[in-house]
Amino acid sequence: MKLHLITHSPNIETMIATSMLTTTSGAMPSTLYNRLLAKPEKVADIVGRIEVQHGNILEHNRLVWKLEASKDEVLSIMLRSRFFNITEAEEDKWVVSSNLRTLVEYHQTHRDGFSELLVESIKEAAPQVYQFIRRTTR
Amino acid sequence: MKAQLLTHTPLSEVEKEFPNHDWKELLPHLNYTFAIEKISRACTHQLVRHRIASFSQQSQRYITVKRLDERVVTPESIANNKSFETLIQQASEAYQRLVEQEIPREDARFVLPNAVESSLLMTMEGRSLMHFIGLRTCNRAQWEIRKLADMMLAQLREVEPRVFNNAGPYCFQLGYCPEGRHTCGKMKEALERYKV
Repeated sequence: MKLHLITHSPNIETMIATSMLTTTSGAMPSTLYNRLLAKPEKVADIVGRIEVQHGNILEHNRLVWKLEASKDEVLSIMLRSRFFNITEAEEDKWVVSSNLRTLVEYHQTHRDGFSELLVESIKEAAPQVYQFIRRTTR
Repeated sequence: MKAQLLTHTPLSEVEKEFPNHDWKELLPHLNYTFAIEKISRACTHQLVRHRIASFSQQSQRYITVKRLDERVVTPESIANNKSFETLIQQASEAYQRLVEQEIPREDARFVLPNAVESSLLMTMEGRSLMHFIGLRTCNRAQWEIRKLADMMLAQLREVEPRVFNNAGPYCFQLGYCPEGRHTCGKMKEALERYKV
């Protein structure tokens, strides 16, 4: 099985921080987002303190992968999580996408090869979330 | 009311890897996140009926509503209506009194009307968004959510015209009105309005 991250929503962690602050702050979400874009250190600080309870803060993004796997392997993934979007591109090649919540919850409940590939693929796209996963699930 | 598309996953990025794939099949892999601001709580109730979406909304448990009379959405049909103005004033006073009595905000908010403003982040994948636009730009949709859907569609057409130039009310998307006997009877005008 091979997994390659093709693309993802920009500024994933800025959006996570925006989502966290939106629920508890009187400021407008667009203002929060634009302010946080200019303050990556603040984003790292906020997201670094993440405790995933209301998982919805991890839902405002999408990661899109190219997956090379057999039909049986893909069926196994689909049976383990209903929340991945999967499209067959060609023989044994698939477009797979999800948000970070799906990824985190998959990793929390299934420790398999696919789960490891997922987590490694977000190292650059969402470094604080990557650290969070490694910190809490080892 | 304000709607701003903050981020999205471009179709072209996915197509680079899968060039021969029909964009319609790739729609569920695309995401769009909007900041939606200063809409009524009545409108946010309508939004959350679209279940294949993600929402992060300002919480009335944490955010105190200050000067309620300045933070309400007023429909045209009841602008300057004495009953409405009186009720807002009374709700405002009752809310403030409860907060001053140190009643938890989560309980004080029970006196707030549907007209109170709210803001949120909303994320939808492409296929759900086409459905949302189909339903909510329809003449039969309620005015506030229709206005919001129109604002969103204008921005979507700017960033992803190949996809969203096909979006509009369902009569525009399908070529016929699916509303049956409830049809507004103005399909021709709707097609003209959403034509690119």
